[in-house]
Amino acid sequence: MSTVSAPGTKSGGASASLSIEETNKLRAKLGLKPLEVNDSKKTEAGTKEDPVVVPAINPIAMKQQEDIRVKLAALKEKRLLNQKLGKVKSLGDDDGWLDDAVAWVEKSRKLQREKEMAEKRAKLLEEMDEEFGISDLIEEEMQTKRQSAYTSRDLKGLTVQHDIEAFTEGQSVVLTLKDKGVLDEEDDVLVNVNILDKERADKNVEHKKKKPDYKPYEEEESVDDMAVFKGKSILSKYDEEIDGEKKKSFKLEAGGTADGSWEKELQQIRETLRSQAQTLDMPQLKLASEFYTEEEMVTFKKTKRRVKKIRKKETRLKADDLLVQGHESTVTDYGSRERGRGWKFHGEAEAEGNTEQAEAATPEVQSVSDDIRVENMDISDDEARAPDSPVAIEEDEAEMELQKQLEKQRRLRQLHKQASDKVVDIAKKLKSDRKDEDADELERKGLIVFNATSEFCRTLGEIPTYGLAGNREEQEELLDFEVENKELSDDEMELDRDETVGWSTVNLDEEKKQPEFSATSTTILDEEPIVNCGLAAALHLCRNKGLLDTTMQKVARVRSSAKSLPSTVYAIEDKMLIDDKYSRREEYRGFTQEFKEKEAYRPDVKIDYVDESGRRLTPKEAFRQLSHRFHGKGSGKMKTEKRMKKLEEEHLLRKMSSSDTPLGTVALLQEKQKAQKTPYIVLSGSGKSMNVNTITK
Amino acid sequence: MIEIVCNDRLGKKVRVKCNPDDTIKDLKKLIAAQTGTKWNKLVLKKWYTIFKNHVQLQDYEIHDGMNLELYYQ
Repeated sequence: MSTVSAPGTKSGGASASLSIEETNKLRAKLGLKPLEVNDSKKTEAGTKEDPVVVPAINPIAMKQQEDIRVKLAALKEKRLLNQKLGKVKSLGDDDGWLDDAVAWVEKSRKLQREKEMAEKRAKLLEEMDEEFGISDLIEEEMQTKRQSAYTSRDLKGLTVQHDIEAFTEGQSVVLTLKDKGVLDEEDDVLVNVNILDKERADKNVEHKKKKPDYKPYEEEESVDDMAVFKGKSILSKYDEEIDGEKKKSFKLEAGGTADGSWEKELQQIRETLRSQAQTLDMPQLKLASEFYTEEEMVTFKKTKRRVKKIRKKETRLKADDLLVQGHESTVTDYGSRERGRGWKFHGEAEAEGNTEQAEAATPEVQSVSDDIRVENMDISDDEARAPDSPVAIEEDEAEMELQKQLEKQRRLRQLHKQASDKVVDIAKKLKSDRKDEDADELERKGLIVFNATSEFCRTLGEIPTYGLAGNREEQEELLDFEVENKELSDDEMELDRDETVGWSTVNLDEEKKQPEFSATSTTILDEEPIVNCGLAAALHLCRNKGLLDTTMQKVARVRSSAKSLPSTVYAIEDKMLIDDKYSRREEYRGFTQEFKEKEAYRPDVKIDYVDESGRRLTPKEAFRQLSHRFHGKGSGKMKTEKRMKKLEEEHLLRKMSSSDTPLGTVALLQEKQKAQKTPYIVLSGSGKSMNVNTITK
Repeated sequence: MIEIVCNDRLGKKVRVKCNPDDTIKDLKKLIAAQTGTKWNKLVLKKWYTIFKNHVQLQDYEIHDGMNLELYYQ
C-alpha cells in the first residue's frame, strides 16, 4: 500500500492523518501494542486494489488422491493380518515324519523313551512311599470300606420326618430316604411316601377351607403348649411361608426303634403346666348397673323412726317462753303428790328460788334441753321441801297476784339486764371506736382523710331520699343507745324509768319517724299549716287561702322611646321623601366638569368573556352565556352534547401535528427504518428478506 | 496495519492507522487523540449499525480504507 511508504503525503480533503511513528507513539501512550507492519499478509490475502491469483481447485485430482489413500490403507491391513495368521498351523500343514520313514522311526523312539522315563519316575515315588509305610495304610482303608456292612445299629440317630402318631400299632410302614440336594450336608431323613401324600392332602383341604387369616386384634399374647409364653407376632399367617414349614419328626434310637413313651410324658407335663398356669387377664369390665341388685336391696332395712314428740315440742319454744317456763315450770307441776295440795310455801319458796333460777336459767336459755322441766323440777324439789301445809284459796289468789307482779318485775329486769348488757357492750365498743381516730376527728384536727367510699358519695351528691326508707339502723341504734346512756346515767333505777326504758328503744324510733312524717304531710293532710314556723309557712297558708296573687309576672321588657322606631312614627308625608329608583334617575348630584388634563385619553377597553375552562368566548357564545344567566336556564341535553362535541373536535384539531398525517405515518416509517437499519421499507413479500442486512455477531 | 477513515459529516475527517486485531475501543481512543473529544463520547456507525467496543475490527470485517461514520453521544 502506498500509504505505508509515504505516510505524510496522503492527506487530502481535510482529513488529518498521523504517520506510523506518531501513531506508534500514541499507541504506546494509550497502552496499545505498536502497529504491525506486515507486507506478507497483504500479499497473501490480497486486497481489493491488488488481487492475487489463486490456483483453482481440481476436483478430479482430489478424487484420485482419495482413492489411492483408501487402497493403501487396505493393503496395510491385509499385511498385518497375514502376519498374525502366519503363526497358526493349518490342517494341511503336516509333520514331516508321515511321509518320511526315518522321521517316523525317530518320532516313535522318542515317544518310547518318554514312556520309560515316566515309569521310572512312578516307581521311584512308590519306593519312597513304602519307605514311609503309607501305602499299606491306604490299602487297608480301601479294603475296609468295601467290607463294612450296614446293619440296624446304624439306624441310630436318624430322624423320621413324621409325627409319631401317624404310625399305628401293627402297621408296617416302609421308610425311604428323603430326597436331598447333592451338596446338602445335613443328616439323612427317613420318610414314608404314603404318609407324605396324606399330609399334603390334609394341607390342601385346610387351604380350601378358607379360614379368615388376618385377624389383627385376635393375635393375642398367648401361652404355648408347655405353658411357655408366646408373644404377639405380626402377620403370623406368613410365618410358614417365610420360615418354612415346620415338620414334626422324631429320632430313632438304638436298633432302629422308637417308642412314644417320651412323647406321652411330654404331653402329661404340658397338661399339668397348663392347669397350674394362672391367667393374667383382668376380670371383664362390666357396665355398672344403675339399679340395685337383689342382694343389695336386702341390705336396705326399713328403720323405724323413734317418735320423738318431746323434741318436736321443744323446737317450737322461744326464748321468752322458756323464760316463762323457767318460772312456771315448777308452778305447773300438775298436782304431784309430793308437792301436796298447798301452794303457799311452795310459791314463796319458789319465788325466791325462781329469782335465782332466772339468773341461772338465762344463760341456760340458749342451751335448750329436753329435760328443762325435769331439771327445774329437780331443783325445786331440792329446795322447797315444805309442800305439806294446806293453804287457803283466798291466800292463793293473793299470792297469784303477787306472783304476777313479781314476774312482771322480773321480766323487766331481765330485759333490762339484757339491754344493759347490750348497752355495756356497745358502750365499750364506742369507746374503743373513739380510741381509733375517726375520720371526723381527723377532720377536726385539720387533716383531710380520703376514703374511696366517701369520695364516691361526694361525687354522687346529696341523695334526697336518704334515710327515708328506714333502713338506716346504725345511726338510729347509736342514737338510741346514746340517748339511753344519758338516761341511764341520769336516772338509775326508778320504776317509771324502768318502765319506759323497756320501751325506749321502740319509742325513739317512733319519735324519729314522726317529724319526717310531719314534714311531708303539710300539703296533703294538714289544711292549716303551722303559721308560727316561719314566713314560708305563712305564705303557704296565704296561698292556700287564696290571699296572694299567684299569677306569674314575666320579666319586664326594656321600654325604648317611641320616637326611635320609625314605624311607630310614620306619617304619610314621609312617603314623598322615600328614594326609589325611579326618582333617582332624574337626580344628579355631582361635579359636572370634565377632566381637562385627560382630553386625549381614550380608554382602550377590552372586555373579555371567559367560560368555565378559561377559554375566550366569541361574542355569540358570550351572549348565549348571558342569556342563560338571565333566563335562569341553560340549553337542553342535545344542545349541550353538541357543544361539547364541538369543543372536543376543536381541541383535537389544535393538538394535531402539521407536518405529519393524523396517524403519525412518517414517524412510524422512520422508526421502522431504524429498526431494520435500511433506508427503505419493504412493503410486501416474506419476512426472510428482512434479515439479510443485519450484521450478527 | 490498516487505515480507516472516520467522517463526521460536520467537517471532521480523520484517517487512523490501526491493526486488524484492535478492538473498536482502541480505535475510538485513537480517533479521540486526533479529534480532541473523549473516546467514550464517540459512536462509530455504519448506517444504523453501531459498532460495539469489545469487538475486534477484523470480526466486524472492517478492512483497510473503509469509511466509518462518526457520531457523538
